Amino acid sequence: MKLAYYPGCVAQESGRELDQSTRWVAQRLGIELVEFPSFSCCGSGFVDEANSTLNVALNARNLSLAEKAGLDLLTICSTCQGMLSLANHRLKDPAVRTRVDPALAKIGVAYRGTTRVKHLLEVVTRDIGVEAVRAKVTRPLRGLKVGAFYGCHLLRPSGEVGTESPEEPRSFEALIEALGATPVLYRGRVMCCGFPILFVREGTANRIAATQIDDARAHGADALATPCPLCHISLDSFQNKAEKAVGHSLDMPIFHLPQLIGLALGATPEELGLPRHLVATDAALAKIGQVGVPA
Amino acid sequence: MSADVISVPIDVYRFDPAQDRAPRYQRYTLDLPRHTPVLSALLKIRTDLDPSLSLRYSCRSSICGSCAMVINSKSRLACQTPVGPEVERYGRIVIDPMRNLPVLRDLVVEMAPFWGRYRKLEPHLIPDPNHPMPEGRENPMTPAEVERFKTTPRCIACGSCYSACPAVEHDPEFPGPMALAKLYRFVVDPRDGAHQDRLVRIQAEGLWLCLRCHLCTESCPKEVAPSERIRDLKEMAIAVQGATEHGSRHAVGFKDNIRDRGLLNELKLVRQTYNPLEALAQLPQGLKIARKKPETLRGPRTIEGQAEVEALYEALDDPKEAP
Repeated sequence: MKLAYYPGCVAQESGRELDQSTRWVAQRLGIELVEFPSFSCCGSGFVDEANSTLNVALNARNLSLAEKAGLDLLTICSTCQGMLSLANHRLKDPAVRTRVDPALAKIGVAYRGTTRVKHLLEVVTRDIGVEAVRAKVTRPLRGLKVGAFYGCHLLRPSGEVGTESPEEPRSFEALIEALGATPVLYRGRVMCCGFPILFVREGTANRIAATQIDDARAHGADALATPCPLCHISLDSFQNKAEKAVGHSLDMPIFHLPQLIGLALGATPEELGLPRHLVATDAALAKIGQVGVPA
Repeated sequence: MSADVISVPIDVYRFDPAQDRAPRYQRYTLDLPRHTPVLSALLKIRTDLDPSLSLRYSCRSSICGSCAMVINSKSRLACQTPVGPEVERYGRIVIDPMRNLPVLRDLVVEMAPFWGRYRKLEPHLIPDPNHPMPEGRENPMTPAEVERFKTTPRCIACGSCYSACPAVEHDPEFPGPMALAKLYRFVVDPRDGAHQDRLVRIQAEGLWLCLRCHLCTESCPKEVAPSERIRDLKEMAIAVQGATEHGSRHAVGFKDNIRDRGLLNELKLVRQTYNPLEALAQLPQGLKIARKKPETLRGPRTIEGQAEVEALYEALDDPKEAP
């Protein structure tokens, strides 16, 4: 399977462990990642708030690059997935086309609207299939209870971006089960991580993150796994702040989606970039008989 | 039992603060046609099984907005939710009162906080002194002007979005999705004279606390899409006043940030959002992160075709052009 690889900004910067683990997993699952050094940022929802027309145009340019190559586009971030899908949706509106198309024409871009945007979670669970993944598991994550944390923009607005039920998604849990771990169902799995207002009102953002982590813990989770590096920032990189905001320890390891797959497929913690996390993953790794790396 | 009739197990939240120490769920099991609305099921419980059950309702037709509650974890109208699909999907129906509002009894909540956050936004027409209302007759709008309201006139103020909203849950300053969707309605009303004041005020009073999680849009029984209108308000607020708050500075900063290289420069964005003193306060956390993730300090590569990105900004990012 050949896909136009759209890593997004975070996976190329502070979240490089996500890019690293994606590449490791893609190779084992037979996904060929076609590089596009000319992809720009998706706008992360912020550009959409500042200038929605510009945001659609920037993403139309990204989508057109994949269209020209005749490839579906692969995202590894719920927010990139949401923004690129939203652009596809908005470009069906002739009024939006009237504003965006002339600007695109100036740079020689004509986007017909045919690029399919797929998140790694969808590719793994639908195109490859959980049974095919199960067959490749060499180190089942037995004994590990994992809460999926979907990330808003993978699910909502469901009329525009979602590919499964926004209230009761199950693809991630099916994957967790196939990897040998036990999926944990909790309300927070489809809730917000707080990231969008981390720079607006940090205390509120921290409390929101803590609420979801506490909820997962109360339902028995040893770790969370997320398909969104922005959720990872809020839940991992700022977990110490979330602890301060609610006044108790959280101590919840947060895996990126491909890291969890990689562990079950036999990758070492270093190959998956686990030492780069701010919250140590040792305790979770010990449960599956892996020696952890101190944070 | 006819083929259309199914057994419906319903777990209803029961709590009377005057008598009970803690809430509990009470199980009722009814045989009902699949298409029966949850509201009718609850009324049947009250009539046939338990007259003490308290709930609010009126029109039974998704118009009055009284019967909003949490049905199988989703905030929605009981009169608009048939029992069949719920039982098929979840095996039972769990009914809770709306979230984010104090429970008065069973499924009845105190709506005062919902209305309080709404009233703060002056949700009434403030006439434009330069365009006085015509004396003794209506002040009509053209169909094109009505179009500008988009989805907002459909709102029935049921409170489903307020119940679903994590910003409401965690920050008392956030006005709530319904209040902001209603505010949008006045901002675009050609007869209202306070458009700019409303935008300036809301920019400082909670607009940027929206998480754009779209839970409001999913829960809305009338497809008002509050999160879309909140997004519109943000863009309009920036257009009239520029970026005055952390939220708008972050949004505008982000937009300007990726123009340079086509990818986000994370470190630079901190300086674009915060004043120097605030940025300094972020330093300890920044260093903690950079120790593990040193790329944060280096900034991204410049993408190939950056000139194309630049050209799109030239064409579409004219600060003078209001949306």
